[in-house]
Amino acid sequence: MNYKISIVGTRETIIGFKALGLEPVYVSEPSEAVESLYSLKRERVEFEGGSRNKYAIVFIMEDLMSEITDDDYKKLTADPLPAIIPLPSHLGSSGYGLKKLKTIVEKAVGMDILS
Amino acid sequence: MAILNVNPTRMAMLGLKRKIKSAKRGHKLLKDKQDGLMQKFMEIIREAKRIREEVEERLGAAFKNFIRAGSIMEEEFLEGALLFSTAKTELSVKTKNVMSVRIPQFKLKQSGEAINYGYLQTSGELDIALQSFQDVFPLLIELAEIEKSAEALADELEKTRRRVNALEYRMIPDLQDTIKFISMKLGEMERGAVINTMIVKAKIEAQMA
Repeated sequence: MNYKISIVGTRETIIGFKALGLEPVYVSEPSEAVESLYSLKRERVEFEGGSRNKYAIVFIMEDLMSEITDDDYKKLTADPLPAIIPLPSHLGSSGYGLKKLKTIVEKAVGMDILS
Repeated sequence: MAILNVNPTRMAMLGLKRKIKSAKRGHKLLKDKQDGLMQKFMEIIREAKRIREEVEERLGAAFKNFIRAGSIMEEEFLEGALLFSTAKTELSVKTKNVMSVRIPQFKLKQSGEAINYGYLQTSGELDIALQSFQDVFPLLIELAEIEKSAEALADELEKTRRRVNALEYRMIPDLQDTIKFISMKLGEMERGAVINTMIVKAKIEAQMA
């Protein structure tokens, strides 16, 4: 079973990933990004006896994740697939990814043990 | 501590005793599950942090290269050059079951060349940028796998911890209290019955005399 990988970001940043065979989704506003995440998550591929997600991994630029609400985030990441992974953009790391890891640890252990 | 709303009868007590037995067994099982999950989580999370930091560093550099390439070249040429990429990425996904948490395992198969354009109208920076993207890409997949796993494990850990606590601090003590209450009540009733018969007996004996 082969899945696809998608990347969400502004045009100039992610066009390079197109050359690697990823499917780019161009957005410019954080609000658009949330919508496109939902639609990417909804896309399914039919095969005999059922259907499955089309995309296994959706990369998204960190700066677009800033406006996503906790509620949306929970809904988007509830299922095993796709994995939604924020990546630092060309603007440099905003610390979003590490912050996310921190919340994961806090949720699991009860306190932050990483730092 | 609360006493459950049951009739203080022997039947109810037997039922509660059965319940407490299964609650204790469930508690032990869940506790073991929690320990197992925690062990796995600890293994994963440090790795996740390491990969995340590495990705941030390398991807930042790759983006810088790419932006530089974009600034040197005309946009149409850049887009045209990227259009001819023959690179294909195929991702196969398996799910692994760790303590009833399904965690994904990605396997990447790359074929073709990303750099597949004429060198005349493109800049050297683009080659470097694409190469660095290609180098960092497997790491991104690894990051995706490990972060998703960590997330799933954290979710399950939280749920399990709640259940363990609910059993340990709520359900089991409540059951114990209720059982104690019923056995006291039954003992009280028994004593009451004995006293009653003693009184009746004394009354009958007084009449006879």
